[in-house]
Amino acid sequence: MLDTPDAPPGTAAEIAAAISSGRTSAQAVVEATLTRIRERDPILNSFTAVTDDRARRRAQAIDDARARGAPLGPLAGVPFAVKNLFDVAGLPTLAGSKINRDDPPKTRDAALIERLEAAGAVLVGALNMGEYAYDFTGENIHDGPSHNPHDIERMSGGSSGGSGTAVGGALVPLALGSDTNGSIRVPASLCGTFGLKPTYGRLSRARTFPFVASLDHLGPFARTARDLAVSYDAMQGFDPDDAACVDRPIEAVTPRLERGADGLRVAVAAGYFKCRSAEACYAIDRIAAALGANRDVEIPQAERARSAAFIITATEGASLHLHRLRTRAEDFDPATRDRLIAGAMAPAALVDKAQKFRRWYRDEVLKLFKDVDAILAPATPITAPLIGQKTFMFGDVELPVRANLGLYTQPISFIGLPVVAVPVVLDPLPIAVQIITAPWREDVGLRIAHALEAKGVVAAMAPPA
Amino acid sequence: MKRKAVHKIKSASAAKPTKASGKRTSAKTPAKAAAKRPSANPKHDALDAVIAASAQALGLTLDPSWQDNIQFNLQLVLRHAALVDEFPLPDDAEPAPVFHA
Repeated sequence: MLDTPDAPPGTAAEIAAAISSGRTSAQAVVEATLTRIRERDPILNSFTAVTDDRARRRAQAIDDARARGAPLGPLAGVPFAVKNLFDVAGLPTLAGSKINRDDPPKTRDAALIERLEAAGAVLVGALNMGEYAYDFTGENIHDGPSHNPHDIERMSGGSSGGSGTAVGGALVPLALGSDTNGSIRVPASLCGTFGLKPTYGRLSRARTFPFVASLDHLGPFARTARDLAVSYDAMQGFDPDDAACVDRPIEAVTPRLERGADGLRVAVAAGYFKCRSAEACYAIDRIAAALGANRDVEIPQAERARSAAFIITATEGASLHLHRLRTRAEDFDPATRDRLIAGAMAPAALVDKAQKFRRWYRDEVLKLFKDVDAILAPATPITAPLIGQKTFMFGDVELPVRANLGLYTQPISFIGLPVVAVPVVLDPLPIAVQIITAPWREDVGLRIAHALEAKGVVAAMAPPA
Repeated sequence: MKRKAVHKIKSASAAKPTKASGKRTSAKTPAKAAAKRPSANPKHDALDAVIAASAQALGLTLDPSWQDNIQFNLQLVLRHAALVDEFPLPDDAEPAPVFHA
């Protein structure tokens, strides 16, 4: 069934196993994927480019390698797609913008594409996203919104909206996105997929279009925790082409997944992170109960941390785009442009204060991990809003959607902690929970995610037929 | 594809919010804010002056129709900045970004 366009694509692990054993071929899997994209994406609008010729050549090379008896990688023949801020050889890197369409095509792939393909994966295209990643909605004025695969009237979440839609809609088993303030975790929550935002500095950002250098992370979306782990392992490793990439040994997680969650100390984030919707509360309670997490922790000054992340984002983003704001302001989405212009005008002393607070906050939060191994918090305050919806109710307060879908994610990425977003299947729409761990302990989050999945507590939601 | 058995949750938050009876602390849209703006508000005038001077210093040409949105967003940045600024930090607090020589 892995090579049938009308069936779910299967997990990355299933596909790689089937191709490696000869039960199907990479070419059959890729053709089924391309057909699925061609038939379903006109409604979902998750792809901005399909690299079909390249994918077919790559699939043929994998099948040829198998025929020769050459070893195949752990992702042999697994189709994947990337947010369109990743460089793809032969395409301009749009980063969700109109302006970048005038850039020349790239001559080399982003580092993480190279690493996934070295493990056998097959790139099938580039994905829709919020303009210049300054977005939580998945809406895009130039390409149209990526739609929620469970209800096309609703948002995918952003800014990696196409990544959430493509994996949540089962077009591909694996996609890459970026997360500056929550842009992997928010669409993972609204589209009901697993998502991993690794520790800041863990995965190379080389040859991707940046947003906020001191906050930008890259990571995978998948339909199982194992697929997150396999792809994450394939992407690890120092890269001198990314100034923030830390020179650490590869710490493979996949072999450790089966250790489970027993013995791990898990707590629920209280205070600022308290759930305020029935869906978020149900998801947190269910996961906490499954893990025996019966204690709360207070993450200190989380609201202030979110504010500091907000300031740093606005100002670093403004610095990045200042020359485009001078020369091509009319070509931005007005919602992006006006926030960037405002960010350019923020007093520098207040930005520096935010960076000083950031170190203080980091030191305080890290103390919590002396007593706990993981902290649970909602990923989004609500399930997917309607496309175009401007506000939502947060308890008894009405908040703007665009700025606040990431209110639970921003205080965490602000200090670069690794997070696994795990989806809880609800009717009619899914929602995810963040499993937050200490720096460089992605293994703990992925072990917990895998254990929850084995218990049937979390799962990627199947899209409607 | 059939859906797995799912948990039905009575949802109010995923639907369009009704006209709220609750507080509206930060939900004002720029248009609403502009509509409510008094003709001579010293704070808004001061911010307008900041925006004009900053635009000149930064070499930005602003269309007058952008003014309300820029002012709304600058107010938002300053409100977040004030929350951070009021937090006491020691004189030897180091900023977070690390430069590797």
